[in-house]
Amino acid sequence: MNPDRRRLIASAAGVAVGGIATARLLPEEMLLRDRRPRRSRVAIIAAQEYSERLEGVLVSGLREFHLNLRGRSVLLKPNLVEYIAGVEVNTNPVLVSAAAQAFLKLGADSVVVGEGPGHQRDTYLVLAESGLADQLRSQKISFVDLNRDELFKVPTRATYTGLEHLWLPGTVLKSDFVVSMPKIKTHHWAGVTLSMKNMFGVVPGTKYGWPKNVLHWKGIHRSILDICAMVPVHFVIADGVVAMEGNGPLHGTHRHLGKIVLADDPVAADFTCARLMGLDPHRVWHLARAAQFLGNGAYDRIDLIAEGLPLRTDPFDVLPEFASLQMRL
Amino acid sequence: MDTGLAISDLHGTLIANQRATGAWGYRGNQDSVESTCLAMLALRQQPGIELARAVHALQGLQNVDGSWPAFTGDDPEGCWTTALAVLSLMDTRQATKPLASGIQWLLHVRGREADWLWRWKLRKFDNRVQFDPAKFGWSWVSGTTSWVIPSAFALIALAQARQRGYNGTAQLDERVDLGTSMLLDRMCPGGGWNSGNGVAFGVPLTPHLDATSIALLALIGHEKEQGVQRSLHWLVNRLAGCPSPYSLAWGVLAIAAYRRICPEARESLCDRVEELMRLTEDAASIEDNCTLAVSALALEAVNGNSVFEVRTR
Repeated sequence: MNPDRRRLIASAAGVAVGGIATARLLPEEMLLRDRRPRRSRVAIIAAQEYSERLEGVLVSGLREFHLNLRGRSVLLKPNLVEYIAGVEVNTNPVLVSAAAQAFLKLGADSVVVGEGPGHQRDTYLVLAESGLADQLRSQKISFVDLNRDELFKVPTRATYTGLEHLWLPGTVLKSDFVVSMPKIKTHHWAGVTLSMKNMFGVVPGTKYGWPKNVLHWKGIHRSILDICAMVPVHFVIADGVVAMEGNGPLHGTHRHLGKIVLADDPVAADFTCARLMGLDPHRVWHLARAAQFLGNGAYDRIDLIAEGLPLRTDPFDVLPEFASLQMRL
Repeated sequence: MDTGLAISDLHGTLIANQRATGAWGYRGNQDSVESTCLAMLALRQQPGIELARAVHALQGLQNVDGSWPAFTGDDPEGCWTTALAVLSLMDTRQATKPLASGIQWLLHVRGREADWLWRWKLRKFDNRVQFDPAKFGWSWVSGTTSWVIPSAFALIALAQARQRGYNGTAQLDERVDLGTSMLLDRMCPGGGWNSGNGVAFGVPLTPHLDATSIALLALIGHEKEQGVQRSLHWLVNRLAGCPSPYSLAWGVLAIAAYRRICPEARESLCDRVEELMRLTEDAASIEDNCTLAVSALALEAVNGNSVFEVRTR
């Protein structure tokens, strides 16, 4: 090899190594494709109780988004964790069945409800005890246990966890329109659990354990970002009629918020929900990063198409380590 | 109570659900090691081609390090299902070489808290979940902490391996003793077991039916422990009216195992068996093969024939 050629290869290698080193120093979100829509729409809708009226409320709310649902298969992903008598832990079954009926009325070809509970291995037990099984049976809506669905290996699109791939349920991957239906709650590890954190439930327990322990070790915030970068959330219906504050997601206390939040962007939905909770979304690690590449967090890119945010909110109680999230006016 | 007819229906449905590969999926969609093992255990006394095909399929899924994956095509790290595979192969008296390597894998794999650095971190800084990290068992997936169900299944598998003479080493005794202490440490304050720990963020956790039942099966021989008695009491009371055949079946397996030494378990057993038979009456409508298999195993246990019972000493 002549000296010039050797110098050229050496300098090319130097540039490559330098490039990799520089890339590693950059925040992950700067290296990812910007998938933020130009604008996002969010509807905050008043709903004081869980009743049959919710179906009508959702139909009129969803119409404002002009969704094209004709011939599309819809997957509703509620937050179904476990049943604790007298505690509103899960997305309310009345809201889930109202959403199923609303999407069918608006032209969806099919609607299924799917969830893979994180702690409780007996999914049917949670389904039955929470009342969701009866609701779905009476409306002939199918339920899929995402913990035990057929799994497919999918490369990660972001690398916050360092995992090269995740195994994901076929039902999620084959659905045309995925709707995240979180319960608005505080969370003892993540600060808040909203539409993005709710997607933890699509990761199968059969592969990752109960709770999805591999992902907890990789970091909850990081895992949320990787999952949401892989699984498109097309729409959000967040249950804030009765929310939870304090030691959520299981042992907090009820907070009657009286709101349902609809959105066509999960990041915009979660920023809005956090603000409704009186918490600063920019201080929630995964939300702040998601707003850099996955969806919109900035006020000026979110159109509130129903109610506006309240001028003053008494912040949700949080565990001491999350006190910095509370917005004090 | 004609449990024989009910067991026969459950077996028939399981046989009909066996896939061409010889294995079972959770719902017939993808070979799963958990479903295959539980179905094999349920069908272990059925002489027929089904069991031979299942054994062949299970052996074919074993990883080179002796472990088993969760499902066909899974990553090769191996996981908690190894304990179930070991139990199944022992009960079908098959495949001594795969069995020996499976037992060895169980003896070597440890919850992450077994590492001194993690133990120190969990004691000093990361202590919002209360447990003694010196007491470790088995995890769902390698590289994570110990959890109740994987530890309980591993304890049952190792105790049976010792009892049947597959392994009588001091290492096995040590792991069984340590795993037993881990289960007792992770118990909920009022008895019973949640998925991993008894107290988190200062709040006592609610026990789960399946975790409590499987942990109790692993702790047979420790019935003098007050915690075991509290857990059994919790289970007997909580199991009444359980709407899910899967949890009810695990509960029946546990209370059947303790009926000789616990009057309240003995008294409740008949009612729970009737409830289980009612919930599984239409076996063909039950989609989940694990539920079918565990229900069959529970009804068999009532007749004194339980695959999970073992005397640890």
